[in-house]
Amino acid sequence: MAVKVIMPKQGLQMTEGTITGWLVEEGGSCTEGTPLFEMETDKLTITMDAPATGTLLKIIHGVDAVVPITHTIAIIGEPGEDIAALLAEAEAQNPAAASTASAAPAAPAAAPAAPAAQAAPAKEQEGKKFATPRAKMRAEEKSVNVMDVPASGPDNLVIERDVLAYEPAPAVKATPLAKKIAEIENVDLSEVKGTGSHGKIVKNDILSAVAARIAAAQTVKAKEDGAPAGRTKRVVPMTKMRKIIAERMVASLQTEAQLQHVVRCDMTNAAALREVYKKKNKKISYNDIVLYATSRALMDFPMMNASITDEGIEMHDYVNLGMAVAIDTGLVVPNIKDADMMRIDEIGVVAKELADKAKNNTLGLAEMSGGTFTVSNLGMFGLDQFTAIINPPESGILAVGAITKTPVVVNDQIVIRPMMSVTLSYDHRIVDGAPAAEFLRRVKEYIEEPTLML
Amino acid sequence: MSRKTYAMAIRDVLASEMKRDEKVYVMGEDVQKLGGIFGCTRGLADEFGDDRCFNTPISEQLMIGAGLGSACSGMRPVVELMYMDFTFVAMDQILNQVAKTRYVFGGKARIPLVIRGQQGIGRGNAATHSQSVESIFMHFPGIKVACPATGEDAAGLLRTAIRDDNPVMFFEHKGLYATKFEVPDDPDFCIPFGKARIAKAGTDVTIVANLLYVHRALEAAAILEKEGISAEVIDPRTLVPFDYDAVEESVKKTGRLVVVHEAHKTAGWGREVAAEISERCFRYLDAAPITLGTKACPLPFALNLEEAAVPSVADIVAAAKATLYK
Amino acid sequence: MDRERALWIYTTMNKIRAFEEKSYKFFEENKLRGSVHLYTGEEACAATVCSTLTDDDYITSTHRGHGHCIAKGAELDKALAELMGRATGYCKGRSGSMHIADFSKGNLGANAIVGGGIPIATGAGLSIKMLKKTNVCVCFFGDGASNEGTFHESINFAAIHKLPVIFVCENNGFGISVPLEQSTAVEDIADRAVGYGIPGVIADGYDVLDLDEKFLAAKERALKGEGPTLLEVKTYRYRGHWTGDPETYRDRAVTEEWKAKDAIVRFGNYMVENGLATQEEIDKIQADVNEEMDKAAEFALNSPLPDPAHLMDDVFFEG
Repeated sequence: MAVKVIMPKQGLQMTEGTITGWLVEEGGSCTEGTPLFEMETDKLTITMDAPATGTLLKIIHGVDAVVPITHTIAIIGEPGEDIAALLAEAEAQNPAAASTASAAPAAPAAAPAAPAAQAAPAKEQEGKKFATPRAKMRAEEKSVNVMDVPASGPDNLVIERDVLAYEPAPAVKATPLAKKIAEIENVDLSEVKGTGSHGKIVKNDILSAVAARIAAAQTVKAKEDGAPAGRTKRVVPMTKMRKIIAERMVASLQTEAQLQHVVRCDMTNAAALREVYKKKNKKISYNDIVLYATSRALMDFPMMNASITDEGIEMHDYVNLGMAVAIDTGLVVPNIKDADMMRIDEIGVVAKELADKAKNNTLGLAEMSGGTFTVSNLGMFGLDQFTAIINPPESGILAVGAITKTPVVVNDQIVIRPMMSVTLSYDHRIVDGAPAAEFLRRVKEYIEEPTLML
Repeated sequence: MSRKTYAMAIRDVLASEMKRDEKVYVMGEDVQKLGGIFGCTRGLADEFGDDRCFNTPISEQLMIGAGLGSACSGMRPVVELMYMDFTFVAMDQILNQVAKTRYVFGGKARIPLVIRGQQGIGRGNAATHSQSVESIFMHFPGIKVACPATGEDAAGLLRTAIRDDNPVMFFEHKGLYATKFEVPDDPDFCIPFGKARIAKAGTDVTIVANLLYVHRALEAAAILEKEGISAEVIDPRTLVPFDYDAVEESVKKTGRLVVVHEAHKTAGWGREVAAEISERCFRYLDAAPITLGTKACPLPFALNLEEAAVPSVADIVAAAKATLYK
Repeated sequence: MDRERALWIYTTMNKIRAFEEKSYKFFEENKLRGSVHLYTGEEACAATVCSTLTDDDYITSTHRGHGHCIAKGAELDKALAELMGRATGYCKGRSGSMHIADFSKGNLGANAIVGGGIPIATGAGLSIKMLKKTNVCVCFFGDGASNEGTFHESINFAAIHKLPVIFVCENNGFGISVPLEQSTAVEDIADRAVGYGIPGVIADGYDVLDLDEKFLAAKERALKGEGPTLLEVKTYRYRGHWTGDPETYRDRAVTEEWKAKDAIVRFGNYMVENGLATQEEIDKIQADVNEEMDKAAEFALNSPLPDPAHLMDDVFFEG
């Protein structure tokens, strides 16, 4: 007899959950009471046990799917068992709400959370909720929707005292941006106090809520064991974005043969170039110069602009140049499409646009997918030099450090020059050490002598 | 006020009304010298004469029919049935004659007839002498139905019944006869029909009960009180007319209704009340009304079986809690 | 018998006959409905018995009650209006044929339950006795009712208390279709009186004089406080049990035999022969009755139906 695995309700307010991982593959066997899948709600991340022993015949909702509670997410049974009826039943369960996020590379911020409009039907999908006449009357008196009230009566029956105890969520006013971030971060808007005009919730309110949640979780999850007397350890639940970053970074290191070369660039001429543009009332940054130089160098070394796929090495005759942008909640990597065909000032404009979008959380999925190489600049943090992990399936990443006045030897004279380190991480599966070094030297040449790029 | 038994409260009202109005008389089985098997007519024949309180043959049809004929022709008879179970022997006279005479003859008849007697469990009288039969008389229009639960109510309601120009079925409970109550001495003390008594005020659940079950409901209410549940116990006192307004008002407050009686649950008056209240104030209900009554078996003799057949105090407590989902 | 009472009895018998025949006609014409049990052929009993009763004397009647009702003083128009379910009827259109009564005339009701009125009459007798009145209660019932428990219970009680009740059993030989010999072990119901220690008397229901004599004796006994009498009146109904009765259970020839000795004709002849009335007076009575009956029919036909607004009136006395 096949058994349904449902999206379990965890906590009174939960209406839907996100599947964050299946611990058993479809067709694999599972045992009742042992972990089957991981899920995340707006409140918690939890590993759920299998409700029955048998074969995981079908995973209906894959990773990142947002599923209303009680909906079937998988079926456990005996191999060959007819589960058509159960599948049909699952199919009938509000298919619109059962979306599966495409695991787009470098696209954590684009995870399609269930829009608010779907939350309501999902609630109605519970359907089996009833209310006593008196509960309905009281709900009317309180001007609350009785179906929003958690039921304590038998068979999901809302009774009078449920309504009396119910504190309805006030109508939430939030900016579209705040709503979007809240969606991504699974922040319940009804729990956020707005600081905008007329109490409107703005971006910072959500970010504060996220910070507060982390702090609260730290408090809640404080552990005593193993910590020095009077001190505590604490477990901070990972945000969805954090989890994705973590997975991708580990995957990157595990799948690519990464190693680094470092060069130091004299930025004297780059500074002069900026002055030239400045006189024309155009503003370009050092980073724009790095991006421009990288895009041109990549055209010279196409292997650095390639990816390994199952079929072979995928060469790109274009440069979609990724730029890592730190945001409050993590990291995103939008890319500048066709960077190789842009003028330096054009690159500057697009880079700024993408950085702003990243900070406002308004990047689209397309802007974050399809990159061919990445530049990560942490110069603003004063790092002289650092290394970066490649953003798969790309083959390289440049880690750009701060520009510092450094005594260097030029023509046997010790002079002070603005120097900047550039560290290339590359995938040795595609590129060997010498060509990687050559590429890096080319980058260095372009940065130090921009006229060479002409 | 005097402290007296429920039976004496009845006897004293009979005496007081016979004294007040010469047309009032009592007839029934064993009422004359014996004073009724429960003593409710004790001394009346001595005080008022054998023609004002006299024995009848064991002829229930005659007793009821003669009561009707006599009531229609100038007298105010009080007919004592030894057991209200015996109404069945005289059902044609009660339901086809007494109940309909005023209406079918164009409203010209006045029928100041009281048919009184006891019923209920408690004395091991078994199937044909332990029933609670009042619901039947609520079903057919034309007769008023009174059910006193206390000595005071017995006195006040009986006096009202005797002075009423309509036929009244007066149901006493054998289990209450020996219980002492404070009873007003006023010879004109009347309790109007159709006016319920709030036996105990409460806020969480309304319990409607009559006769012996008013007392059992109060016991249940005391237990509930200890568990933090405030039950309101309502005794309708008369089933016809029925004070639905009082129950409605209470249920609007509490949102929950339990009706409990010794009459059979099936088609019993509790179901009638539950239905009427559901119709009147459905939106105020937080739970379906629960009716408790004697199970659908004839009342058995063995004490434990008899108690198993009728609702217990624990049943009332459980029902009240069930309406509160507790 | 004095002339006045004879004229009253004769007139009353004719009224009853005219009323029953009009009822029959109206039933056939679908102008009235329901169970209509006709007293045609039995008129002498009600008319003679009631000829000495006042409004303070009581009667109880039966499902075949039109005759008793009229004999106890009801007007033909209001009686017919009641049969037709009109607002002007004696019972406001609530009773129809089977429960017709003018309560104000001491009629405690026709009673559609066989034997249902016998205890009620006994109770009225009890009141008369307790109130020390010089009245009687006449309890009309049929041969069929004598097999009901109420017959036994009531006569026994009336006998014990020597109540002023005359139990008049109108024995027309059939309980609907069942002949007396199939329902009753004794030939004469009057014989049952022995069981109650009271007189059981048989009267000829087609002989006003015999009826009158026997009834007056019973009435005198009642008024003297000697108790009830069971007076069995042998009679016959010309019509079936109800309008529409196919009468498969009895011989039409027997009906013709009874009709041949019709009590109305017989008493009319007696009155003329004994100088109590002239033939012209007899003829005029019939003509007057017919005229009254026609007027009554017109009254009833023109009477309004009861107003449903009053449907719930009188279930209880309010006051």
